[in-house]
Amino acid sequence: MTPPPAAPVAALIRPTPQLRDAQTNRDVMAVFMERPGIGWLLLVLTCATILAAAGAWWLYQIYRGLGVVGYSHPIFWGAYIVTFVFWVGIAHAGTLISAILFLFRAKWRNAINRSAEAMTIFAVFTAQLFLGIHIGRIWKAYFILPYPNQRGLWVNFKSPLLWDTFAISTYTLISLIFLYVGLVPDLAVARDRTTGWRKALYGALSLGWQGTSRQWKAHTRTVLHLSGLATPLVLSVHSVVSWDFAMALVPTWHATIFAPYFVAGAIFSGFAMVLTVMIPTRRIFGLEHIITNYHFENMCRFLLLTSSIVGYAYLIEYFMAWYSADEFERTSFWLRTTGAYWLSTWIMLTCNAIVPQVFWFKKARTHVPTIFVVSTLINIGMWFERYVIICEGLSHEFNPAVWGHYTPHAGELLIVAGSFSFFSIFFLIFLKLFPVIPISEVKELEIHDRAHAHGGAH
Amino acid sequence: MPTLLGIFDSPTAVADSVRRLRGRGFSKLEVFSPAPFDEIEEAVDPKPSRVRVWTLVGGLLGVVTGYAMTIWMSLDWPIVIGGKPYASIPPYTVIAFELTVLFGGIFTLIGLLVVGRLPRIKLDPAYSARFSADEFGLVVECPDRDVSEVDGLLRAHHAKEVSLVDA
Repeated sequence: MTPPPAAPVAALIRPTPQLRDAQTNRDVMAVFMERPGIGWLLLVLTCATILAAAGAWWLYQIYRGLGVVGYSHPIFWGAYIVTFVFWVGIAHAGTLISAILFLFRAKWRNAINRSAEAMTIFAVFTAQLFLGIHIGRIWKAYFILPYPNQRGLWVNFKSPLLWDTFAISTYTLISLIFLYVGLVPDLAVARDRTTGWRKALYGALSLGWQGTSRQWKAHTRTVLHLSGLATPLVLSVHSVVSWDFAMALVPTWHATIFAPYFVAGAIFSGFAMVLTVMIPTRRIFGLEHIITNYHFENMCRFLLLTSSIVGYAYLIEYFMAWYSADEFERTSFWLRTTGAYWLSTWIMLTCNAIVPQVFWFKKARTHVPTIFVVSTLINIGMWFERYVIICEGLSHEFNPAVWGHYTPHAGELLIVAGSFSFFSIFFLIFLKLFPVIPISEVKELEIHDRAHAHGGAH
Repeated sequence: MPTLLGIFDSPTAVADSVRRLRGRGFSKLEVFSPAPFDEIEEAVDPKPSRVRVWTLVGGLLGVVTGYAMTIWMSLDWPIVIGGKPYASIPPYTVIAFELTVLFGGIFTLIGLLVVGRLPRIKLDPAYSARFSADEFGLVVECPDRDVSEVDGLLRAHHAKEVSLVDA
């Protein structure tokens, strides 16, 4: 027989406590629990309309073939591939912020990594869409996969396009896993504070997460290992994309600098896009005390660094064209700067290499409207960078008799606009369905601060 | 056996109580916390998490799959491309690398589920929404005769409340 407990059990009966909720929970929950406002609905509706128009055009293009946008010799890679590379580039910021800055223990990333990761996923989705649009015969898209078939043929693994398939699919899956693993504890926060269909959704997605020490330990390890895996992956993805070009013999493409040049450009454009999207989001949802100007300032420093790398690559390209004494390289670069593509080239040089240099000044780095304008210009400049590289390169290959010129067709531009709508719709829905700030990571910092403010244990 | 739940405000206090309780021989412990804290994890179980084994196995499986798949497929229907050997290691390294990351990542996720005992359908009766706010819960299972000792011990370590969990 066990003796009765000394303390009266009645005294231990749990009171029903009023839920004292953490400030971060309330702030972040408010963002995605509030009923969507009229502005949100209008935005979604506008995007959906553009997307529907682009979709209709795509159907027509599938029916009639790529000829309807005027693809012809020598330029078969036009706005679709340009926009594909553009979106793959945008996708690089998320994993860079999540993985690389995590490994460097840059704690300031905590407030922005969730939105950047989400943008990564949506940007990769958008990019993949363009592979389907670009190939024309979409019903044969599965030819790129190594699958057993009656002809006994396999794919050509020596082709950069195959590397691209593997790199992009891996990147999509790993980014999804990364985003999801980070979301699980926050979904549990949401599960505990919602009712109805939302509770069912978050309950199922949070997998019964309870935040036990065992789970947290496994979770931190998982994030660490995923970061370790994702860091070289980020660098590899845009390197592989650059090899789609660099492995070809086309003048201005066939250069060893392409991999680092493209990776720096990708990080550059990705950070610019994060800023372009986060500045209005922060303002609309009043998250100024979580995403502070300090975060923006740090991101501007990144922009300055990557802009300088990209600018250096631009200069080196010209230098190498001259120094190689290769007639075709020299001609193509000369025509890039002075020929029919001069405007695009100068937009690219100005927006990417010159304008971001304002971030040397702290005044510019802390002035939000300036940041917004510059980041938008960078987005434009980076689209034109790919446009110049791809279309100008193909326009001026070796034999002047087969030179050509390319201007985007209205249908292509419609699909490009549709891709921005596609991306925006995903992001807008994400804002209203999931915590856009990583709650537990911000809380971790807060509880640490609280402990220190009170001088240790309590 | 009765189960006691102590509520704390600080991770250090939780870690201290866990160490103390384990020192007294109470090993059926569970800590709920709103965010990860090394000190708590260290106190509950100092051994490194086994997620790393999953990552390693996944990565190795990926690199082997990458090379095996590309080499075997090239030899299964041999075509000379660009004058290179059928089994060319440098281009296949790209595929092998990507599959290393892919398999490593998927296995890490599986590792998280296995090690973290997820998914679970029903939440622990001791769990409450407070632990996804900013409070910490320490759950101790102990024999009837030790209830008062554990209660005192938790309170001595600055537990704000101590209560019995109804099973």
